[in-house]
Amino acid sequence: MEVSETIAHHILDHDLGVMIGAFHLPITAHTLTMLGVSIVLFVVAVLLSVRGKSLLSRLLNTVGEEYVAFMRDGIVVPGIGKEGIAFLPYFCTLFLFILFSNLAGLIPQMKTITSNISVTGGLALCSGGLIVYAGIKTHGLWGFIKSFIPGGTPWWLVPLMFPLEVISLIIRVCVLAIRLFANMLSGHMVLLSLLLIIFIIGQMSKMAGVGAAFPAMGLEIFMTFLELLVAFLQAYVFSLLTSIYVGLVVHSH
Amino acid sequence: MALGPFSAKDHVVITTLGLEFAVAVSMGVAVGFWLDKKYSTFPWAMIAGVMCGFALGLYIIVKESHRLSQTEKITEDKKKNGSI
Repeated sequence: MEVSETIAHHILDHDLGVMIGAFHLPITAHTLTMLGVSIVLFVVAVLLSVRGKSLLSRLLNTVGEEYVAFMRDGIVVPGIGKEGIAFLPYFCTLFLFILFSNLAGLIPQMKTITSNISVTGGLALCSGGLIVYAGIKTHGLWGFIKSFIPGGTPWWLVPLMFPLEVISLIIRVCVLAIRLFANMLSGHMVLLSLLLIIFIIGQMSKMAGVGAAFPAMGLEIFMTFLELLVAFLQAYVFSLLTSIYVGLVVHSH
Repeated sequence: MALGPFSAKDHVVITTLGLEFAVAVSMGVAVGFWLDKKYSTFPWAMIAGVMCGFALGLYIIVKESHRLSQTEKITEDKKKNGSI
């Protein structure tokens, strides 16, 4: 297999070819991983929330409470303010889903689903929906539409400013999707490319391939730790940016 | 007036500005290219799209910089009044 084909095979989504009779189910590697992540998240959420008297149960409860407190005081309140506490469940779900999706790629046979633009686009659309919903909930429909026009704008500039502000909002949603997608895809490609260096050099000379394995594996371990950091960082950045954008809409007047 | 010091929240916004500018220009190119294909006017709509995207990107950067400087001014005023 060519190097480019190997990279494409590992990074791009592919159909698993599941058939029920004559009906083709469009189950792909990414949808399967997403389903796995959702099941794991559901189990984790149940474990963290069920009250019990055992030491383990109380420990899990404390971890869950600490996580929610971190989301409230570290992301939602600084970005939106006290009004944002109503949206706390969305942010708690968003952060954990992105984090688990990012980390899934580090497990063998699983895929980084956030390296698929459709997944990050879907998440960004959900955040875009929340931004619009928060704006309408706070200011009403007419107030939300009026909030697109900055204060002090002369009437003759309104036809120019209104579309500019609407496109700015669309760009923000696109940026949310592209940022997460690009970061996860690039990290995954670097990991794979470092491994492939060994085989490319090994094709020229087996001894050189063995020699290249040591620096390549060192870099691979370093990049894996960097990917762990990026997985947490990107989940944090996506949630924080969503909260900032919601805050901008909520406090637009 | 010099900007900063910034909070972690501001840093996230600042690092996103570059991408927002790039997306604005790319959207302009994409819309212009689509119009060119539809009305066979290549490359004029694309050039107009690039210019509009560039202007929009600059507008976003200027607006965010202004908002950040206002946030810093409010924080400085609060510090002077002793409310922080």
